Amino acid sequence: MYAGHFAAGLAIKARVPQAPTAALLVGVTLLDLLFAPFVLLGIERIHETPGRAPGFSLDYIDWSHSLLMSLVWAAVFSAFFLKRGRLVVLTIAFAVFSHFLLDLLMHPGDLALWPGSAAHLGFGIWLWQPSGWWWFELGFIALCSAYYLVRARRLQSFGGRGLWVCAVVVALHVVNSPWLSPAM
Amino acid sequence: MTSNMFALLCFVSFALPIPLLVWLDRPRKKQGQG
Repeated sequence: MYAGHFAAGLAIKARVPQAPTAALLVGVTLLDLLFAPFVLLGIERIHETPGRAPGFSLDYIDWSHSLLMSLVWAAVFSAFFLKRGRLVVLTIAFAVFSHFLLDLLMHPGDLALWPGSAAHLGFGIWLWQPSGWWWFELGFIALCSAYYLVRARRLQSFGGRGLWVCAVVVALHVVNSPWLSPAM
Repeated sequence: MTSNMFALLCFVSFALPIPLLVWLDRPRKKQGQG
């Protein structure tokens, strides 16, 4: 999942507006922000699968994306916001962990329970719906965006350009479509 | 695309939109505020 993570961040912002938007958006993408340097450093491994969704195989992503490490990263990242109060800390921790929950739907059994674990999780929508996953994620983005816009209009404390926010997320999703993505 | 290039692309595609989304999310100034 790509743009869906941003959409999740917006929905979480709408639910707990006092949580900083930047922290939530970094939180929901944190596992992938860690994944990149881990691959560059050789800690994690991927390889291409041209023509097969999503265009690559995530061979070993246990340090960024396993269940245990998702919880660890959630705890570590949210700890930076302890001064903001318990609700904000828990919300940011949930934002980080939401990445694992959403990837669990999409990934084809490459999410380990902990680094080195033999057991892996993933419902694999990417594999059994090679283009349908895109519509599934679009539906999720639509739901999150609608909730964000309704709450932004009601509360007026965020989402000053809410429609543009949602348009950017949808545009990111379009760019990541199976028909346009360079990974395919 | 090599795995390193894919990783870099992944990082950029997640990191770049964040400042824009944060900026767009700011509340509009109410009338009468500086």
